[in-house]
Amino acid sequence: MPLAVRMTGITKSFGAVRALDGVDLEVEAGTLHAVVGENGAGKTTLMRILYGAAPADSGAMEVDGKPAAFQTPAQAIAGGVGMVSQHYGIIPGLTCLQNLMLGAEPSAIIDLSTAQKRAEALAAEMGFTFEWSADSETLSPAACQKLEILKLLWKGARIMILDEPTAMLSPLDGEALFGSLKRLVERGATVILVTHRLIEVMDHCRRVTVLRASERIADFAVADTTAKDLARLIVGGDLAAPTVHQPGSGEAVLSVTGLSVLGERGNLALVDVGLEVRAGEVVGVAGVDGSGQRELVRALLGLAKREAGEISFLGSPITGSSPADRLAKGMRALPEDRIAEAEIEAWSLELNAALGLQRQPKLATAGRVNRAERLRLAEAIAARFSTRHGGLHMPMASLSGGNQQRFIAARTLALAPKLIVGFQPARGLDLHGARAVYDGIREACSSGAAAVIVSFDLDELLENCDRVVTLFNGRLTVPEPGKELDRDLIGRLMVGAA
Amino acid sequence: MRGWSTLWLVLGGIAVLFGAVMLAGASPAAVTLAFLKGSFGDASHLSQTLVKTTPLLIAGIAVFIGLRAGLFNIGVEGQLVIGALACAAVAVKLPGAGGAVLGTIAGVVAGALWALPAAVIKAYRGGHEVITTIMLNSVAGFLTLYLAAGPLKAPGQDHPTTADVLTRLPDLSVAGLKVNAALVVAVLLVFAVAYWLRRTVAGYELEAVGANPLAAEFAGIDRRKVVVSAMCASGAIAGAAGVVQVLALEGRFFPEISSGIGFDALGVALLAGGSPIGLLVSSLGFGALTTGGTQLAIEGVPKGITQVVLGILIVAAAALRYRKVVTVA
Repeated sequence: MPLAVRMTGITKSFGAVRALDGVDLEVEAGTLHAVVGENGAGKTTLMRILYGAAPADSGAMEVDGKPAAFQTPAQAIAGGVGMVSQHYGIIPGLTCLQNLMLGAEPSAIIDLSTAQKRAEALAAEMGFTFEWSADSETLSPAACQKLEILKLLWKGARIMILDEPTAMLSPLDGEALFGSLKRLVERGATVILVTHRLIEVMDHCRRVTVLRASERIADFAVADTTAKDLARLIVGGDLAAPTVHQPGSGEAVLSVTGLSVLGERGNLALVDVGLEVRAGEVVGVAGVDGSGQRELVRALLGLAKREAGEISFLGSPITGSSPADRLAKGMRALPEDRIAEAEIEAWSLELNAALGLQRQPKLATAGRVNRAERLRLAEAIAARFSTRHGGLHMPMASLSGGNQQRFIAARTLALAPKLIVGFQPARGLDLHGARAVYDGIREACSSGAAAVIVSFDLDELLENCDRVVTLFNGRLTVPEPGKELDRDLIGRLMVGAA
Repeated sequence: MRGWSTLWLVLGGIAVLFGAVMLAGASPAAVTLAFLKGSFGDASHLSQTLVKTTPLLIAGIAVFIGLRAGLFNIGVEGQLVIGALACAAVAVKLPGAGGAVLGTIAGVVAGALWALPAAVIKAYRGGHEVITTIMLNSVAGFLTLYLAAGPLKAPGQDHPTTADVLTRLPDLSVAGLKVNAALVVAVLLVFAVAYWLRRTVAGYELEAVGANPLAAEFAGIDRRKVVVSAMCASGAIAGAAGVVQVLALEGRFFPEISSGIGFDALGVALLAGGSPIGLLVSSLGFGALTTGGTQLAIEGVPKGITQVVLGILIVAAAALRYRKVVTVA
């Protein structure tokens, strides 16, 4: 089998940090190839070099047997290599067809009917259907992902890099996506999959490359390994099992009744939601993106437009109380969009450590900042999940995404939380990091707190929560007793097909 | 890092100035000497520089407070003249310490009230403060012109002006150096603002809203309250700058009393960067450029060159504000 990609001795440093140290990568043409590793192992950097976003310091690269050294993504796409971005590059307000052509318009004056015919042909090859003249705002996350793939095909990519493509999809949509990718591969395209989900590697990929600490430590056919061996290779040892836990039977920490909330566009985003969470309990909220998760988190924090319903927290009603009151009582949030909602990138780690905790008695005496305590807290937060940083005085923006997540997650668990409202608390974290964060949540809950965890990854919820409820179209469903962790039932509830 | 780049900026600005001077066929050394003599040379020139610096510093603090909360208060000019007029209206009637205190209170409150509509529109309707404050500047200009030319006009005057005030702020001059109490208050205010921003929870919350309003909301901070209070604080301090113009300097109100202090203050605050202490340096620099520029004009170098240098510095400072941070780990 000829090689679609051959990278040899790739080395790349950012300042004093070596991200890649003489890494090789060979990808056979017409296969699905997985690249796995912990946060900071170098996966993303390697892929960025391949698609021209960050030139390597040294090393050689061949694409389809010809030497290549892409300096920009535009050069890479001209050479047939493209990347489906994790943050979708679909612009709402443009039609699907306009989004498809964006940046690769066939001519200065666009012949829409010819363009649409080509779009339909491409979509048909992949087994996708699109309403090409519809506003792309209406697309589901799964459809956005498909459109991103078509965008690359439109530009003539033969080698595609997908970074965590199923992170935002329901299990069903995820399976369907891999069905499409298989068709793509059968037609001679090559797909490189960067993922933390080993089950996807085992089920769908031909070969797998394992990176650890900036080096390639293994590369073999998936058929020759097991998920367990792979996990061991990735972390360089055995992974601790999830902490064993007792289901909560304590006092009700949170109780929500009949809650209806307006979404950003004035639509009813949550409808008659009822939920009770007891001390010691970790409750997962499953659902595909856009089912009302965002509004649920905002409503619990007191940031949403409430239409009806009551919320009580630790036995007293908080329906009308301000976010500040709720935080003072021990509610802690880890919002969905880390950069926009959970941190101030330009500020130091030390200042960020206090964000949301700034009025806690420990950090403030009579309106004055207790700077010694704040520094101590920042040290503890950074140490908790081993955030790699260049000093607590450095700006938050100097941290990689994974390390920012470690820092923010640790802050959420600091100063005795009573209720943790977490939106994908382990987002972008590797196996070790994710395990540590969930263990931290569990630890807080064993000392009397409760947690509501929203995630798009059902397996993550099933592994880490005591029970899982679902959100679909703004309605919350609590599975019947005994079926709180039933993967099939919950998977169906997530798409409204109970 | 940022401190160094500001230093390079200043040096660059001076280099541009020297280049222009040499192109015009003059000697940079002679011009520098003339400039320094004209701004810091002796007690009388230094006094003049300090007189120019005082309102610039106070108005600079006003702009600075807004900037820390993410608000670009272009309305300092309007709040300043409104404050000046309110102060004069009180101080033409009341003599002595009572007049000074009540006049100051009137000016500060009037400045804050003049900022209030822009603050409320921003906080509750999302209307951009740059637009609303520019509009309010025009209203303030014409309103004060009307009042100074009509109801508050001094009897027997041809030009729009109030009568002379009956009280002044205390003069603390020593050994030929004119120092007004206002300068002392302004410097103390700088340190108070620095302390407030760095050491109080309210200051932390104000800067959080300025840096990332959405994250501030998730941190339990009432963004609207912070916007309204920061804007009003900014207006109050702008009003205080107007008070200084009346009670320390001019002794009356007339429509040209500000002559653009509120706009120069934007430059003072921008060049100060994120640091309140930087305001002391940048306002002194602006003050020196004004008085030193006058001396240059006497030596035959057009005064406008100092404005050109200022303009270049401000544009470059704005360009440096938003630089990408390099990821390290």
